[in-house]
Amino acid sequence: MSELTLDHVVIAVRDLDSATSDYSTLLGRRPSWRGEHPTYGTRNTLFRIDNTYLELLSLGVVKGKDRRWGGELERYLEQRGDGLYALAIGTDDVDHTARELRSRGVDVLDPADGDGVDAVTGARRSWRNAMMSPKSSSGARVFFIEHRSPPDALPMAELLDDHGSAVKRMDHAVVLSADMEASRRLWADQLGVRLALDRTFPERNTRILFFRLGDITIEISGGAAQSQEGIGKPDRLWGIAWGVGSLEATAARIRAAGIDCSDPRPGIKPGTLVATARGPQTHGVATLLIEHLPESFRPESRAPQGHAYDNAPERRAFAPTALRGVTVTSHDAATSADRWRATLGLERSPVAAAGSLPLSEVVRLDAFNATIELFHPADPHDPAARALRERGPGMYSIAIEVDDLSAAISDLRAKGVTVTEIGDGTEGRGRSAIVDRAATNGVYLELIQRADSASSG
Amino acid sequence: MIKKVHHVGVVVRDIDQALRFWRDTLGLSLHKTQVIEEQGVRAALLSLGTSEIELLEPTVTDNGVARYLEKRGEGLHHVCFEVDDVEASLVRLQERGTEMIDQETRVGLAGRICFLHPSALDGALVELCQPMDDVVTEIAG
Repeated sequence: MSELTLDHVVIAVRDLDSATSDYSTLLGRRPSWRGEHPTYGTRNTLFRIDNTYLELLSLGVVKGKDRRWGGELERYLEQRGDGLYALAIGTDDVDHTARELRSRGVDVLDPADGDGVDAVTGARRSWRNAMMSPKSSSGARVFFIEHRSPPDALPMAELLDDHGSAVKRMDHAVVLSADMEASRRLWADQLGVRLALDRTFPERNTRILFFRLGDITIEISGGAAQSQEGIGKPDRLWGIAWGVGSLEATAARIRAAGIDCSDPRPGIKPGTLVATARGPQTHGVATLLIEHLPESFRPESRAPQGHAYDNAPERRAFAPTALRGVTVTSHDAATSADRWRATLGLERSPVAAAGSLPLSEVVRLDAFNATIELFHPADPHDPAARALRERGPGMYSIAIEVDDLSAAISDLRAKGVTVTEIGDGTEGRGRSAIVDRAATNGVYLELIQRADSASSG
Repeated sequence: MIKKVHHVGVVVRDIDQALRFWRDTLGLSLHKTQVIEEQGVRAALLSLGTSEIELLEPTVTDNGVARYLEKRGEGLHHVCFEVDDVEASLVRLQERGTEMIDQETRVGLAGRICFLHPSALDGALVELCQPMDDVVTEIAG
């Protein structure tokens, strides 16, 4: 997959003219582009800065034939009003990116061509993009874009003055997350974006993840500890930090233009100064201005400050290593074994000979990487006997091998899952424990550790 | 004929909720999710050594997975064996009179597949598959 970048960010606005004026003031720049998306039924204003561009997006007068974009925008504005709407991830080949991400379990909608017309110059730009389904993107609106027009088709946004107070670049975009592990999996494991920092700030009850897209950071911010209530809750695109050359000059300029801006203060990262812009002119986007002083580039500035600490890469207490067995209940194991052999060619496993039960009760068939156990429970109190009585013969249970059964039991219990004590596994399979079916979607799950395994608890 | 157990299928009401256990708690890695419109299911495959766990969530109310869920609730649904040649396997089974759900092979999440009728093997639903990366890619694209 081609290297991903942060192509641009999108702010949804109801009044495009007003938002264009406000962001022109905030950024200290004239728009690069004011145009329409005839296909989508939307209008936009673009500001290109050093390392990305900002898109202000509103509904057009006429609805487009591709309602995926206009319809979604309309819903967003109705429900939430103005705000940070989407992150556009740049790629050299959006079709390949979509295929690759789908293979990693990401739900990406079919790529489609798009184009825009500049209302002032009549210039056209074209692209091909694909949206990630909100379910896959943890609720944050993310899409992938491949530009078909040359980069200079979107010119730099001209400076309003030459006093060095304009916004130069985007420093980072902030995503609020109630489910940090899900966010980390999405950005690191599925999108393959480099995780540059995973740091917890106990005093602020905050954990942040920094993902690097080119020279722009996606900051995922959430609570220091994962709350149960937060699991599965959607992420929210929240804010933008704009990089400036002189924070003092920028703050003075936007204040003079009527935007509420805090006094510059030291940032969390040593060697940075930050100020917060507030008010309706930010159009629902948490807005930070940041100046990097020379010392912010020293290696020591990257070290955790105070009680903050970096989180170690995920270490698991145990690992499931293999599917070892599938148990099928039967009225007569020996007869069933003959049927399975005749139908599928599965022969009896040598392991079966180690058992003490008669063949009418249990036969193991060798399926090469696992055994199929045909089981007729003679003990009427055996849970399998009850399943056989109530549901008839059929699929009953699976056995998964783990590298450390004791650690697995402790870890699962710590996560609220009920697991039995260690017992002798199904014959010939070493030690085992049964996981409560309330946790396993009804599956009778036996965790096993082979008798000859080196790891023991 | 049989090469290995390719996966076991588990019918669930909500894949996202099910992943909380199979992926997040048990630690299996999710390597594919897909909606198969023509089969009316949403599926997720999780790696487990040389096998997989396949979670199946019905997206319609009138297919076998939905009926299974309604009648029996969530649980173990089928076992899938990987074979070298699923077409040849199907013909061989038909010739020996094995009752089949599929009279022709079709494309599924695991590649080209066919299902035996549960009555053929003691009530167990058995799938045969021949992984075909090119076919899967074509569906995904």
